[in-house]
Amino acid sequence: MEAADIALALTALACLLLRSAGVWLAGGLGADHPVIAWATAIAQATLAAFVMLAIIAPTGALADVPLAARLFGLGVGVAVCLAFGRNLLPALLAGLIAMLVLRSLIPS
Amino acid sequence: MGSVTSSRSAALFGARDAVGAAGVAMAATFLAFGAAVREAGLPPGWALVACWAIYGMPGQLVLVQAASTGFVSGIAPAVMGAIAVNARFLPMAIAITPLFGVTERKRLIPAIPFIAVTPWAAAMRAFPEIASSVRLSWFLGFGLTSWVVAGLAALAGFYVAGMLDDHARAALLFVNPLYYALLLAADVNKPAPRRAILCGAAAAGLTFILPSSMGLLAAGIIGGTIAFLWGRKRGSR
Repeated sequence: MEAADIALALTALACLLLRSAGVWLAGGLGADHPVIAWATAIAQATLAAFVMLAIIAPTGALADVPLAARLFGLGVGVAVCLAFGRNLLPALLAGLIAMLVLRSLIPS
Repeated sequence: MGSVTSSRSAALFGARDAVGAAGVAMAATFLAFGAAVREAGLPPGWALVACWAIYGMPGQLVLVQAASTGFVSGIAPAVMGAIAVNARFLPMAIAITPLFGVTERKRLIPAIPFIAVTPWAAAMRAFPEIASSVRLSWFLGFGLTSWVVAGLAALAGFYVAGMLDDHARAALLFVNPLYYALLLAADVNKPAPRRAILCGAAAAGLTFILPSSMGLLAAGIIGGTIAFLWGRKRGSR
């Protein structure tokens, strides 16, 4: 078995255990329980932190896109989302196009 | 959606929701992942199994990056890093379980592999409009469709890797955080998510002073806990 296969198997098992543990821990709790509210806040905060990092300080190919283009795309996407009834698909496309347009206008 | 009461209809609605904005974001991200797998010298089957068995992009990328270096630091650090960046599965599973309205835990077993950011965030948005008796069916329809989209996109990315230049890859990689940002923005009018978003975004700075594998987890725990305590102080969720 290759190292990559072993790493994949161990990570997959751990992720399954994390998910299962969450379901097991919450199984006896109601939706209004403070632990549920706390876990929800942590999950949402993690997602917000992930977005912030991916836009402000990305790695890989996205790091080559100017920060202004990333922020502009994000701003346009969010604005379209809020202005048009929180419809995600048009907002997603608008944000992506906005990022690409500004990127093409900024000399590299 | 509140009028949907049959499991079959709810599953179909879930599948339909998964091929909208969620499907586009999922496909773009996993396309880029498939290309990265090929560049790391791993086979297409590895890409497919990683998508379906881990189903958490940050952790998948940690493994691919480690594989591209030949695991010079060893397998254990790579696995620990992948687990740490995917540790959000635990609070997500805790948060969503009561919303299924299912008393027997074993009925949730089929849903466990699908507890990941995209299905979770979509479910948190859609569940208030769905009768609790069919939420599990909706989630299974959404999750299974997302899984298939992710796997096919990763395979496609693997085989078109040579055709993707840095510009195309950057555009694909931008779609994922943009989609998550839109999901968060759609909830920003509700006090509890708004607090969590603000605190999580502010806590993101911790990733610059902590080890990269632990930074996101720490930001989520600290930001989320502050948001939770802030809400308790204000006496509302």
